[in-house]
Amino acid sequence: MILADTPRTSLAPGTWAALVTLLTGALCLALAPSLPWLTVWPADWVLLDTKAFSAVLETFLRFIRPAARLVSVLLAYPMGWANALFTATPWPLFIAIVTAIGWLVGGAAMAALGFLGLTFVLLSGYWVQGMSTLALVAVSVPVAVVSGLAIGLLANEIPRLKGAVQALLDIMQTVPTFAYLTPLVLLFGFGPVVGLIASAIYAAPPMARNVMLGLERVETEVKEAAVMSGATRLQQLFQVEIPAAMRQIMVGFNQCLMAALSMVIIAAVIGGFNDIGWEVLLTMRKALFGQSLLAGLVIVAFAVVIDRMSGALALEPQSHDRRVALGILALGLAVTLAAWRLAPDPAAFRLLMPLAEGVDKGLGAFTAGYGATLDAIKNNAMFFGLLPLRIGLDDAILPFTWGFQWTAWMSAVWFAFAVTAGLALAASGRVTAGTALVIALGIVETGIAQLPWPFVLVGAGALGFAAGGWRLSALAVGLLALILVCGLWDRALLSLYLCTASVAICVVVGGALGLASAVSPGVWRVVRPICDMLQTIPLFVFLIPVLMFFQIGEFSAVLAICAYAVVPMIRYTRHGLVDTPPEMVEAATAAGATTWQMLRDVRAPWAAPTILLGLNQTILYAFSMLVIAALIGTTDLGQSIFLALGQADIGLGVSAGAAMAILAFVADRLVQGFAHGQREALGL
Amino acid sequence: MKHLTLGLALAALATASHAAEMGAVDEPIKLAINEWTGQHVTTHVAGEMLKAAGYKVEYVTAGMMNQFQALADGDLSATLEIWSSNVSDQYAKKIGEGTVVELGDLGLDAKEGIAYPAHVADLCPGLPAWEALKACAGTFATAETLPMGRLVDYPADWGTPGADRMTGLALPFKAVPAGSEGALITELRAATEKKSPLLITFWQPHWAMAAYDVKFVDLPEGNEACFNDPAWGPNPNAVNDCDFAPSRIFKAAWSGFEQKWPAAYEILSKYELSVEDQQPMMGAIDVDGGKVEEVVAKWMTDNEGKWRPVVEAATK
Repeated sequence: MILADTPRTSLAPGTWAALVTLLTGALCLALAPSLPWLTVWPADWVLLDTKAFSAVLETFLRFIRPAARLVSVLLAYPMGWANALFTATPWPLFIAIVTAIGWLVGGAAMAALGFLGLTFVLLSGYWVQGMSTLALVAVSVPVAVVSGLAIGLLANEIPRLKGAVQALLDIMQTVPTFAYLTPLVLLFGFGPVVGLIASAIYAAPPMARNVMLGLERVETEVKEAAVMSGATRLQQLFQVEIPAAMRQIMVGFNQCLMAALSMVIIAAVIGGFNDIGWEVLLTMRKALFGQSLLAGLVIVAFAVVIDRMSGALALEPQSHDRRVALGILALGLAVTLAAWRLAPDPAAFRLLMPLAEGVDKGLGAFTAGYGATLDAIKNNAMFFGLLPLRIGLDDAILPFTWGFQWTAWMSAVWFAFAVTAGLALAASGRVTAGTALVIALGIVETGIAQLPWPFVLVGAGALGFAAGGWRLSALAVGLLALILVCGLWDRALLSLYLCTASVAICVVVGGALGLASAVSPGVWRVVRPICDMLQTIPLFVFLIPVLMFFQIGEFSAVLAICAYAVVPMIRYTRHGLVDTPPEMVEAATAAGATTWQMLRDVRAPWAAPTILLGLNQTILYAFSMLVIAALIGTTDLGQSIFLALGQADIGLGVSAGAAMAILAFVADRLVQGFAHGQREALGL
Repeated sequence: MKHLTLGLALAALATASHAAEMGAVDEPIKLAINEWTGQHVTTHVAGEMLKAAGYKVEYVTAGMMNQFQALADGDLSATLEIWSSNVSDQYAKKIGEGTVVELGDLGLDAKEGIAYPAHVADLCPGLPAWEALKACAGTFATAETLPMGRLVDYPADWGTPGADRMTGLALPFKAVPAGSEGALITELRAATEKKSPLLITFWQPHWAMAAYDVKFVDLPEGNEACFNDPAWGPNPNAVNDCDFAPSRIFKAAWSGFEQKWPAAYEILSKYELSVEDQQPMMGAIDVDGGKVEEVVAKWMTDNEGKWRPVVEAATK
């Protein structure tokens, strides 16, 4: 408990930051009744009109359009070839090829995985659509890999560009894809090429980041040896440094594949291609949960096969008998030839369809059976959790929700209590904690969606200052101010509220599950495959059961976001707790620590930076799911993005997307700043 | 005057019904397949007609909202079921540019309205009369809308016709936008399973109308006077205190279509499909699990009299 012991005489920067925020909040609260512009940004102050922005952007896009069209014409060729190749290959042969590759990279286990995965795809009845999807991935991954490699090498060769490249990668990963689909259609024309480019944009950053990391970590001696042997820069790079960094680059390749696969559904929103994403969209439109789950699981099957096989490639290569692979291929060929007439059309395999229909019926029956309970859960969560968080206790407490009316007098008592508790904490030496408590209680009273903007700006600035100094502080304030002048502030606050609620739930639930998984391997065995599935299945699929149970509204949106964003929290919490160095554990055991003491005093502090990284990922995941949750009917930035997509309003789409990215970016940098501080405190 | 011009136009059409040039028969005509079954039926019937005339046809999946850029670029040749109620601004823009041309009405008689699954009539006695909703608002209330009732409206990008009706008729309902058609259907399904109250903005023809036994609320007749003059209708202070504006369903094509495939242009312009024809085909697909191609092929053989003359007028 050394960390919590702040010096009492001179105040730490964090304490100053908290005090300034508190002061701003108090001022805003006092002045808000007489100065309405403190809570609502006046429409006249909106400097950047999205309509005008649209016109400018459109002119620019038209200007570069011919070049983009050329790219899409060029890409259409490999796209056509890949599609012809994948759809024309007879299914027995295709299964044999994948099984043989599995054998070569990872022996019997991988071969079995490949065989079972593809057999599942065949039995689902979505073979043809699945092959179209694979064709799309087969073209978009090389595009992403090559561009990721180029970006990474560029940053490596010209160190001055590193900062700019990092920012570019952040933008590529945080701006929601839906926000730039309209401009992409305008630029590249209609069809699968747009989906291909969208997924390449999303998949390139992990590749680039790993290339940069890998090249950075090549040992100096290795580099110097290459220089001394008189190699040119290109020779050094391609014959020494890249091979030395190969393992890290392969990790990037694996991440790149997974990211590309998770984005294929985007291609379906535009259309032009009969792929698995289109099936998911069609079944989702009819609210058929079982069927859309089945279609989604096809993507999961591909993802698991590709992930494990490319993961095995990144490990040390093992040699497996090639004759076995040839044997498998020959068997596949034999089946193809023998059953040429007998082999049914792959679309005729619909063995799993009754199962999907059963799942769908089960969902209906469950909703019918537990309707009242589900409504009660939702109402309680809304009345006592979400509504107060959004509009504050002062507006959420009404006779028909809590049974009484909140009055100004109660507000006074509330604040008096907050200040007393805060002062008590401050008197015991924890000034920062006391101030933070007053701020938190103040936010609960006001509600996130009704926070005055100066308070949010100052608060973000103060957090930035505490987490990473003046530069981070200025960055956070500057970026948030940009949302303000775009006139998207109220929607951004709603997004912030939805994210806060979801992240809070994820921290509690994910933390608990991570802890349980760390303590008991049995729990982990159950939790892990669920995590895998939640991460790769198209996010749309979650929306149906959530809507069936809880209808359109914020509660459903929060649950859908949680289903996706909870995964990193679980994974990182478990990883951090399990990963404690054995010598620390031994020392603690020798000192006679109980299991609980070990967890609290040894493992938890050690795991803190990792868990903070998990929190960071959870926040980013929550923001990316926010856009999908708009399909449920939220009224935040996500809705603006869909509105823009529907109306082909480029300006609104890009600015709402940028606002969303700014929120995610600021949150990311703040958490990273704190994680960095924590690591330094631990001496890492 | 309006009737006279219409008559003239019809006469002009009648005299112009000599056979048109076939045009580029070797290049496929690309028809847009949007996200709903009715549109699949409409498009496949049209496609089969074009094939019967001797054209090559390609069906291309396309998002309803984003297809107009593709249509303007000629990447799609035609799209055959556009609903005036939820067509994007981009369509008007492309029509203005002259890169997309309209091909006339599909002849599908659509209706939009405030609707409810049949069991809700027991929960709110007096339905389908709209006045009944005044007293029942509390029944429809949920955590988000208390004390007002909840109306599930169209997704925000389709406009807010349901909310406009509630304001117009001064009904104590708050409109909650659904985020997608899937969300609307899920609401209907959940309400039917749970036997819970639901008021929703919906339309027909739609397969869910039959599947969930959906009924429309009777609203005062919708007309121009109601949409523009507050004094008209039950609420003297507001417009929109009446039924929805009648929605049109129409067809559109790429501007180069007529020149490239003149006869096909004529076929698609004259092509019409009624609700009575479309609805059973939708049922055969969505409820009985049939394939679009097979269901449409069966209809084509059974109803040759309905489409063959249009093809022959254009080609012979």
